[in-house]
Amino acid sequence: MTSKWIGKRVPRLDGPERVTGELKYMTDYHYNNMVWGRVLRPPYPYAKIKSMDTTRAKNLPGVIAVLTHEDIPGFNGFGIVVPDQPVLCEDVVRTTADAVALVAAETEEIAEEALALIDVDYERLDAVTDAEFAITEQAPKLHADGNIHSHVVIKNGEVEKAFQEADIILENTFHSPRQMHAFIETEGGWGILEKDGTLTIQCPGQYAYRDRLQIARALAWNPARIRVISSPVGGAFGGKDEITVQIYLALLALHTGGRPVKIHYKREESVIAGMKRHPFKVKMKTAAKKDGTLLANQVLAIADTGAYASLGGAVISLAIEHSCGPYKIPNVDLEGYCVYTNNGIAGAFRGFGVNQVCMGIETHMDMIAAELGIDPIEIRKKNVYHQGDVSSLGHVVKGSVGTWKTLEAAEKCDLWINREKYKAEISEPWKKRGVSIATSFHGVGMGIGLPDYGAASIQLLPGGRFEVGVGCEEIGGGNGTVYAQVAAEILQCDVTDIVVVQGDTSRTLDGGTVTASRSTYTGGRAVATAAPNMLNLLTKAAGEIFGVSEEQVRVADKKVVVYDADGKADSSLSFAEIYDYLYENRRDTRVEGHFMLPKEKKEIKGSGGAPHRLYGYLTHVVMVEVDTLTGETEVLRVVSIPDAGKVINPQGLEGQAEGGAVMGIGYALYEDTIIENGYHKTTNFSNYILPTVKDSPQIETFPVEELEETGPFGAKGIGEVVMIPIIAATISAIHDAVGVRIKHLPATPERVYAALKARKDQTNQSNEENVM
Amino acid sequence: MATIRFKVNGKEKVVDTHTTKTLLDVLRDDLYLTGSKECCGKGECGSCSVMINDEVVCSCLVLVGQVEGEDIKTVEGVGTSTNMDIIQEAFIKEGATQCGYCTPGFIVAARSFLNKIEKVPTLEEIEEGIAGNICRCTGYTKIVKAIQTAAEERFSRIGAAVTQGNLQGKGD
Ligand code: FES
Ligand code: FES
Repeated sequence: MTSKWIGKRVPRLDGPERVTGELKYMTDYHYNNMVWGRVLRPPYPYAKIKSMDTTRAKNLPGVIAVLTHEDIPGFNGFGIVVPDQPVLCEDVVRTTADAVALVAAETEEIAEEALALIDVDYERLDAVTDAEFAITEQAPKLHADGNIHSHVVIKNGEVEKAFQEADIILENTFHSPRQMHAFIETEGGWGILEKDGTLTIQCPGQYAYRDRLQIARALAWNPARIRVISSPVGGAFGGKDEITVQIYLALLALHTGGRPVKIHYKREESVIAGMKRHPFKVKMKTAAKKDGTLLANQVLAIADTGAYASLGGAVISLAIEHSCGPYKIPNVDLEGYCVYTNNGIAGAFRGFGVNQVCMGIETHMDMIAAELGIDPIEIRKKNVYHQGDVSSLGHVVKGSVGTWKTLEAAEKCDLWINREKYKAEISEPWKKRGVSIATSFHGVGMGIGLPDYGAASIQLLPGGRFEVGVGCEEIGGGNGTVYAQVAAEILQCDVTDIVVVQGDTSRTLDGGTVTASRSTYTGGRAVATAAPNMLNLLTKAAGEIFGVSEEQVRVADKKVVVYDADGKADSSLSFAEIYDYLYENRRDTRVEGHFMLPKEKKEIKGSGGAPHRLYGYLTHVVMVEVDTLTGETEVLRVVSIPDAGKVINPQGLEGQAEGGAVMGIGYALYEDTIIENGYHKTTNFSNYILPTVKDSPQIETFPVEELEETGPFGAKGIGEVVMIPIIAATISAIHDAVGVRIKHLPATPERVYAALKARKDQTNQSNEENVM
Repeated sequence: MATIRFKVNGKEKVVDTHTTKTLLDVLRDDLYLTGSKECCGKGECGSCSVMINDEVVCSCLVLVGQVEGEDIKTVEGVGTSTNMDIIQEAFIKEGATQCGYCTPGFIVAARSFLNKIEKVPTLEEIEEGIAGNICRCTGYTKIVKAIQTAAEERFSRIGAAVTQGNLQGKGD
């Protein structure tokens, strides 16, 4: 079948309004008569609230409302899985990211002044700032159930026995950074109490329906009285998956006499209040036979979720599920803890725990290969599972698996074939180059135990265009254009005939989140399910108009064509004419499509939701240059080889691959939100180093397409794995260049320099010993 | 409070405001020109970039009192969706915008860069031209490509104009 739209480089349909600044993000709206909202944060990471007095703030001219926990009509808590984060703290604060009170005022300045006039009497407590300590008996309990939010275990085979039989065993500990999402649009939006008593919340998010549920729970309102508009979003990467300011906006809007309330965090507030990536400590012990066959893997991962759970439990589950890489290891003993501390809050972030464990297994693959003298691609090819194989977790992998093909493509790419030549082309005599590879995978969708479905609506519009409505927000990846391509392909029209609406509880159906690498797969499949219903609606109407049976009518090339008994095209109607007919007869012009994500039937006991039915796969080849005098690393070239199933839009896929690669480089080399004793030392982008164009390497993307039968036209998801293997590949490339392995990320110049120096001191020492 | 006059995108503007308000806040809150975005508020990211007399500045670092009588160009003045500039067309063609929140700042920086070059630039020169802007989505590859495409287009148009003996304006 030749496709008109699928697999084509269709430029973003929403491009013009984006490049001209005409697109209104939620924080760009303006309402006359507006008021400003602000949030009071505690000065301590852990303290009791002894008393609170808002009188002085309320008396400040220009202040419209000051709210505390007493003003919450419903449940004072939020959190996607366990709502353990207070909307407004009552008797204890557990992080400087907490919210204690809200203010609405005539101007932002007055609101700010009012915050300083809220008198809160705190009794400071000793903060728990180390996740390993938090697990111990001596640690103060931050929540009633203790400091362990979740504990997951996967066991398979006999690890101890395997370790005894192994020819080679490696054991290492890896530390990962507290990466910040650093979306360019900080958290913010509007809360408006409408004249009819309903509430409108305009706030960028990643799942409008769930945001609405969490708002309704705090307000003790029927969710139907709340409208959430959550798209477009100025970047999210998981950081807008949880509630950000929606509930604050809703509460304030109830107290401003109908005046719209705006909150828009400054970057400094976003750095403190916003979720971060979970820093992990990963202990890994991996065993192999002489020929490179993996025998066993033992993992202990501890994730610091900060003061509240959000999606921390799911993050550690996913980490453990992915901790053996896309390999078949017969004996595994995998254990993970998600732990509360007073270190800010961690939550969902692109990669969702897999980044942290991939660093461990891929570093070990490299070390084993080096030790045994096996080619790093060969050793991986030898151990990968294929579709239908049993994975390390002990389940049969049913979805499409492209790892082997991505490795083969890596083996054949110019950078890998000619790596010795490129490595020799150093820019300065004191710099050294290294080339390395790594591979990884990432589950698509929610895994077992969570509802996972997609939904889309298609409406025929006057003039013959179609409105495609999908709940999944446009967070940057271009899913709206993908939806239009899928719809246009099936409806036989132009992509420009499709108007896409996303992320609005009053205009789109509940179709789940824009997370978990799922929005192309799930939303696309939902559109592909709705579109045939629209074809039926069109052909049925045409059949009625011409008084022929539906079988004689087909949609082709932007019209509905009626065929005569000999199968010859007889007459046709435009979509606009069909619309007019339906409209005149007061008939419905809208259809829906619903899709339940396929799931594994049996959950692996204790795993917290593993396995997924479906994974996306990716291999990275990376070349770095390390300055041996300063320890500075530059990534010069990246080859990204994704298996995304069918690529619906190659330009969009490249966009993900390129953006993900650079985000991965940031993780590997520079980015870390520093929190000391519970206080954020990182304040803004002046001390949080984000990759700029100067740090961006040459990136090539070569997709292999291992078609997935359950996906729209064979597509899978790729939004997260695009940033994963590059982390380990970069660190291995540093090793290839200068011979040191950095296990504590990011690999800052200081860390690389210290490692180089330590190695030099060691060599000098052993030379001296040799002399003596 | 003071009355401040300046030009924005060729039009005279008069605002009554505190002279210490940032130009960015005045553009967004008083003039409703929300193309320019605030991201860091500290001159670190370039998402608030505007041109003052053809020089790119971070409007979050400029107080409105400082631009009295000056000529300011924002993304809204570079082109509109019905009449796009070549740099805007190139951004769409090459897929250089994703979430789009950084994009207006890049468009302003890139437009100013194109105004200044006298030949098709090298990749290093393009990178220098946008080194003050941060994008978290794209990884920059397609942004650089878009600027290259627009620059080539600009010079091929100039080339055509020269051969026709008709070089007027900047050719774009
Ligand atoms: S907002 Fe002005 S430079 Fe970041
Ligand atoms: S497109 Fe999202 S930050 Fe650049």
